[in-house]
Amino acid sequence: MAQYQNINMNTIGNGLDLSSVKLADVIDIAFLQQFQDDFAKGVGLASVTVDPEGTPVTDPSSYIRFCRDYTHSTECGDNRCAESHRKGGEEAARTGKPVVYECHAGLIDFAAPIMLEGRQIGTILGGQVLTAPPDEEKYRRIAKEIGVDPEEYVKASKEAAILTKERIEAAANVLYIVANSMSKSAYQQLKLKSMADTLNDSLHQVSATMEELAASATDISGNQASLNNEIKNVNEVTGKIDQVMDFIKDIADETRLLGLNAAIEAARAGEAGLGFGVVAQEIRKLSADSKETVGKIKDLTTIIKVSVDKTVHMGGETTSATEQQAAAIEEVTASVQEITSLIEQLNDIANDK
Amino acid sequence: MSIQLVVFALDDEEYGIDVSAVNGILRSKKFKIQALPGTGRGVEGMINLRGKVNYIFNLRSKFNLVEKEISEESKFIMLNANGSTTGCIVDEVTDIVKLNDDEVQPAPDFINHGSKNCITGIGKIDDRMIIILDPEKIFIEEAMGGNCGL
Repeated sequence: MAQYQNINMNTIGNGLDLSSVKLADVIDIAFLQQFQDDFAKGVGLASVTVDPEGTPVTDPSSYIRFCRDYTHSTECGDNRCAESHRKGGEEAARTGKPVVYECHAGLIDFAAPIMLEGRQIGTILGGQVLTAPPDEEKYRRIAKEIGVDPEEYVKASKEAAILTKERIEAAANVLYIVANSMSKSAYQQLKLKSMADTLNDSLHQVSATMEELAASATDISGNQASLNNEIKNVNEVTGKIDQVMDFIKDIADETRLLGLNAAIEAARAGEAGLGFGVVAQEIRKLSADSKETVGKIKDLTTIIKVSVDKTVHMGGETTSATEQQAAAIEEVTASVQEITSLIEQLNDIANDK
Repeated sequence: MSIQLVVFALDDEEYGIDVSAVNGILRSKKFKIQALPGTGRGVEGMINLRGKVNYIFNLRSKFNLVEKEISEESKFIMLNANGSTTGCIVDEVTDIVKLNDDEVQPAPDFINHGSKNCITGIGKIDDRMIIILDPEKIFIEEAMGGNCGL
């Protein structure tokens, strides 16, 4: 029974600690990588997925030379990129929606937050495109700022795809919707699994308790049967006492008769019988006392019999109550088995089998 | 002068018989009564007492009392009367008492007439009243089909 107290009710259906769920827990990174690569190729947008700290969890997909070979090539450029990503990610987290912005190097980027129950667990960053042909002066200036060859930088900037803002937004939205529904359904599945596990554990405990109950019901039944037998013995002994009492009463009756007859003889003997008459009277008195005592003992044995009968009756009730209990336990056990098999199915669903 | 009585009960009444007429008391359950054909209800039957045949009378019919089965406590009071020993069934022998003459009131004339009457007097002990019977007459009357005038 004590096992029940060990179940922490707060964990039921809530076994997952939301604050510790990582992106990798809810999204298959290999699948995400594949999706991200294909999407980048298909739409012509580079992308990478980062965790809330900004650390990439996927490899970059379709990074353009401008970024890969130039902007990221210097420490200054790399830091500026990281800062730019952070800002974009922050904005996305703040709004909970994809944002499109211009990066420090003048390219158009987007940041799509991956949210779970209102908390950001990652961000898909992407873009590296332009909405209009590059302004060469602008890129020469940036090249100087980050310390790369301005002419090569301008040349590389021309490799950036030119897309309308609407297309960029739509692409960001697609990534946002897909990643979020993936993480959401994965999270629900995790929750389901956790609940199924908790249920399973609880049911195991219920089963164990039921077994204990069944065992103790059997014990009670057994004890009651022994008790009933013992009580029957008491009844038999009481009956024997009564028989002995009948015998004693018979002796008392006989003694009394002897006393009476002796008194009659004594009376007939006249003066000579006087002394004997006194003895005869004493005998009668003694036999009367014996008979009275027998009566008292019989009253007591009657009380014992009544008590025993009551006890036997109650014993019978206990037995039938125990039988009902055993039947109830069986029913509960059957229900628990049904529930257990349902939970197994639930677990299969949660485990995506 | 005084008399000693063997006191017995029939229903709620107490009766007494002079102890000198009493041969002894027997427990009726120790004996098998064998019925005698052709006798009245007053004659219960006969018993074999130590090899001798003794007749047992039932005073209930004689005293117009309701018939009752012989019980566990029933006794036979064996009386020496009319030259033989004859018994009568009583519910219980309750006492043997000694009464002085002033404690015995003779039976009044209105019941004490003729030879049919078997009541010789009434013994008084405190509030108790004991009907004293004449042992010679309780059986004779029965034999003649009388009813003891009760």
